[in-house]
Amino acid sequence: MKYFIKVVLAESYKQHRNYFNNKMIYVSLFLWPLLSFLASYYSYKAFDLEESAISYINSGNILVFLLIGYMAMSFFRSVVQSAWRFSSERQSGTLEYIYLSPASRLAVLMGNALSSVFESSVVMLVFGILMIFYNRESLHANVVGLVVVMPIYVIMALLWGVFINACFLYSRDTDFLFTILEEPMEIFSGVKVPVMIFPGWAKLLSCIFPLTYALEALRQVTLNNSDLGTIKITVLISILIIVVLLAATLITIHIVEKHVRKTGNIILF
Amino acid sequence: MDLKVMWATMKKEFQIRLRAYPIDFMVGCILTSFYTTLGAYLMYHYFFRQNLASDFADLTGTSDYMSYAIVGSLLYLFVVRTCLNVSRRLITELREGTLESLMLAPFKRTSYFVGNMLLQTVMTFLETAIATVIGLFFGLRIHDFCLWKFVIATILSLYGFFGLSLILGCVMIYARDTYISQNTLFAAIFLVCGITFPKEYLPYSLQFLGNIIPVTDGLTLMRAAILGGMPSDRFCIIALRFFVLGSVYVISGLPLMKRLEIIALEKMEG
Repeated sequence: MKYFIKVVLAESYKQHRNYFNNKMIYVSLFLWPLLSFLASYYSYKAFDLEESAISYINSGNILVFLLIGYMAMSFFRSVVQSAWRFSSERQSGTLEYIYLSPASRLAVLMGNALSSVFESSVVMLVFGILMIFYNRESLHANVVGLVVVMPIYVIMALLWGVFINACFLYSRDTDFLFTILEEPMEIFSGVKVPVMIFPGWAKLLSCIFPLTYALEALRQVTLNNSDLGTIKITVLISILIIVVLLAATLITIHIVEKHVRKTGNIILF
Repeated sequence: MDLKVMWATMKKEFQIRLRAYPIDFMVGCILTSFYTTLGAYLMYHYFFRQNLASDFADLTGTSDYMSYAIVGSLLYLFVVRTCLNVSRRLITELREGTLESLMLAPFKRTSYFVGNMLLQTVMTFLETAIATVIGLFFGLRIHDFCLWKFVIATILSLYGFFGLSLILGCVMIYARDTYISQNTLFAAIFLVCGITFPKEYLPYSLQFLGNIIPVTDGLTLMRAAILGGMPSDRFCIIALRFFVLGSVYVISGLPLMKRLEIIALEKMEG
């Protein structure tokens, strides 16, 4: 276990050295989500907010509603970006060296996700918390619920990152993951528009994104004063997702290992 | 303007497009427009059950939110595609290794860029047509189509976007980066140019930023031509303003690009 943690820390330090040497990275990690958040916020002004289909959303808390959406999304989005960068490691050959070392594969992936989840979302997180604090009178939070729900979603975002990184280990051509994970995640997991009011087909699509459950539970405990009893199904599904993601990652790592042994080359195949 | 260079550029570009780049890039852009439309659709029909803010119709001259948002998303697709192509052109030549041989040829820069722009316009019309068909399913309706307004809006928009592309191209060449500059600009355009909501909702400073990007007025003109709700004299005033703004971009963009070419060639090796 001590060795495992050592690898996780080493990998996250490596990623930090690799990507945060250039300040421009904060433009993509903070400015873009901020602009996108503002566009969503102002597009809501075209509507009569008191007539929304969901009782607990009104003109007073729409800002916080959207902020929670964009903050949670920045966690989940940053891991997709990190996975994309991880694939360049495969092409430049450093992944081969990692595979030659006795480091645990899971620990490497976890270190990568850890560094991206925390480092990439920290600016957005601080901004969001400040904005929410400024608008604190619109909150209607259940503290116990929040304390339980928060760690579950941080773990979920982390494992989501580990899983996507593992997918990138298997195939070189993973650009399509961007096409299906960036914008659809923003729409279907309810970052801008709550999932509850979706028509049936869209609800079905939203089920596949872990972010959907994270947002639902987070908003319920912060805006609707829901206790754990009310959101227990969402929490149980989330825990199930965590288990499934972990299992899927381990299986993928195993398949990748077999695949690599067969082809004998990570860089090309 | 040298027409021979323009045709040659178009032919060359078309062949590159056909042979070197797969079509998934195009699919990606249509999908972006699709998601924007879908988001607006869900908000309008499901979240707010068609209850618009009371000042929406006054600000926009129409009460058809879906058509308003879809026209916005279609024009946004147009901006993104033309900017991506024209402004990235020189830096792509640099990356592909053809900049040096290009610069050895005695050609008029204006013709080269206009050729790129025209080819991109033809290609983008195809994409926009597909996106428009998708838009029709989501409730795009043409209320008050006016041909002369539409022609003016289209020509002026192309002119304005061309100017914007040149300036963006200068930034790209100077910073030697395409990823950060282009995406920041697109996110900013989406926020301040009134793509899915009237820009009057924004704070004053952001509105000002919107007014100096030559997309906002083009969008206003295009909406007036398709959705109506604007008297002809007002249309002409905005058209004139847009023309002046576009000219500022084009007139400052072309010489600036020429200056930056020198820097690009100097820095080419490192």
